[in-house]
Amino acid sequence: MQAAITTKKLSKVFGTRKAVDNISLEVPQGAFLSIFGPNGAGKTTLLRMLSTLSRPTSGTAKLMGIDLKEDADKAREHIGLISHNSMLYPDLTAEQNLLLYAQLYGVQNPHERVMEMLEAVELKHRRLDVVRTFSRGMTQRLSIARALINDPDVVFLDEPYSGLDPHAVEIFDELIASQREGRTFVMVSHDLQKGFDMCTHALVLARGKEVAFGPKEEFEFGAFSLLYRETVGMGVS
Amino acid sequence: MSVVLKTPSTFQQYKTLLRKDLEQEFRTKEMITSMGIYALLVLVVFGAALGQTTQALDLLQVSGGLLWTLIVFTSLLGLNRSFNHEKEQGCLEGILLVPLDRSVIFLAKATSNILFLLAVEVITVPLFYFFFLTAVTPGESFWLLVLPLLVGTIGMAGIGTLLSTITVNTRGKDVMLAVLFVPIIFPLLFACASATTAIIVGAEGAMDVFYPALLLAAGYDVIMLLLSWVLYDFVISA
Repeated sequence: MQAAITTKKLSKVFGTRKAVDNISLEVPQGAFLSIFGPNGAGKTTLLRMLSTLSRPTSGTAKLMGIDLKEDADKAREHIGLISHNSMLYPDLTAEQNLLLYAQLYGVQNPHERVMEMLEAVELKHRRLDVVRTFSRGMTQRLSIARALINDPDVVFLDEPYSGLDPHAVEIFDELIASQREGRTFVMVSHDLQKGFDMCTHALVLARGKEVAFGPKEEFEFGAFSLLYRETVGMGVS
Repeated sequence: MSVVLKTPSTFQQYKTLLRKDLEQEFRTKEMITSMGIYALLVLVVFGAALGQTTQALDLLQVSGGLLWTLIVFTSLLGLNRSFNHEKEQGCLEGILLVPLDRSVIFLAKATSNILFLLAVEVITVPLFYFFFLTAVTPGESFWLLVLPLLVGTIGMAGIGTLLSTITVNTRGKDVMLAVLFVPIIFPLLFACASATTAIIVGAEGAMDVFYPALLLAAGYDVIMLLLSWVLYDFVISA
């Protein structure tokens, strides 16, 4: 089976600083990749390149077999992104927000799909309320609905837990678990325990370089957390 | 439910993005209200400043320039705010994740900026007439004023949309937009002010000034809007 994500010597340079340095990965379909590393290690930059929000300086990246440099638009049909920013317009209603994205993606029967997603994140009763009136947890649930509106094959999670209370984290986890089937997830998180628990594959970055990458079975949590602590000590590039 | 995606046409995506901007504005009335109040305040300031003018001819000759001063500063205020909603909560990135031609974002945003600015002009231009031109006699072809207003508004909103995209991530974006905007629109501003003054004064041979100035403004619009449209992908992806 074709890999969900393949990168070869992927690099991103800002001025003289290499934010991501020669990263080569192969993430199988259906995997859950957690990316760890200290601040400035290049995690978010890597995620932004893989989600087509940033262009690589060199190297190649493929998503579901599609070259991100050559056909970014085609790849975008397969991508969903959930970050600490909801990407929702605060002055539009929940329904208007989802409908906007559904119509931009060209979802057939967009109204039905919007209702389906609102039901999935248990916000159908608030569909006519503007997002500005939502709690952080509700906004993040709606953000999941937004990211999944086009039924993406690969979902990127960029520190999705920041600002969520424990109850909201629990609901978020349940929602993500319910959407795992048939999808590949890539998550950037500072929560080592949670990220390790959720993942099938782990990647540790430091100074833009790969420190460790592989299936979770290759790592024992104690040794992995020690490796992570050493990595944090390496600081940024 | 299995999801079927059918790539929408560029026009459909344009309509969707434009409707989003209009829906937001209808709900918040943020841009039109702030631009409208600002324009009214500028009119009051102009009124106080020109209260001592004794010669009607002087007022006629400066009124074209005054009207465009009002429009430039009002549009600057609106353009500064036009990308605020897009930056809040990372919405612009959400739109950039969608498979769509980046120039569609430009066209939709420029259209909404044109509509908001025109809406403000519909209120402020009659007020401007009431404040400054009721005591004097403007030219007979005063109604032609609508042409430079339309051409100038389209150009300013279009160029301003590109520039506000560039400055939205900069420090001191308000000042930065003004610093870039005024020099770049200067030829357009000069042509529109000339055409407007010619119409308001209405002296003999006014049309000899009006039409060349209007053509210059329209030509500048076409060139700059095409340039903005072509450059937008690079600017927004940078």
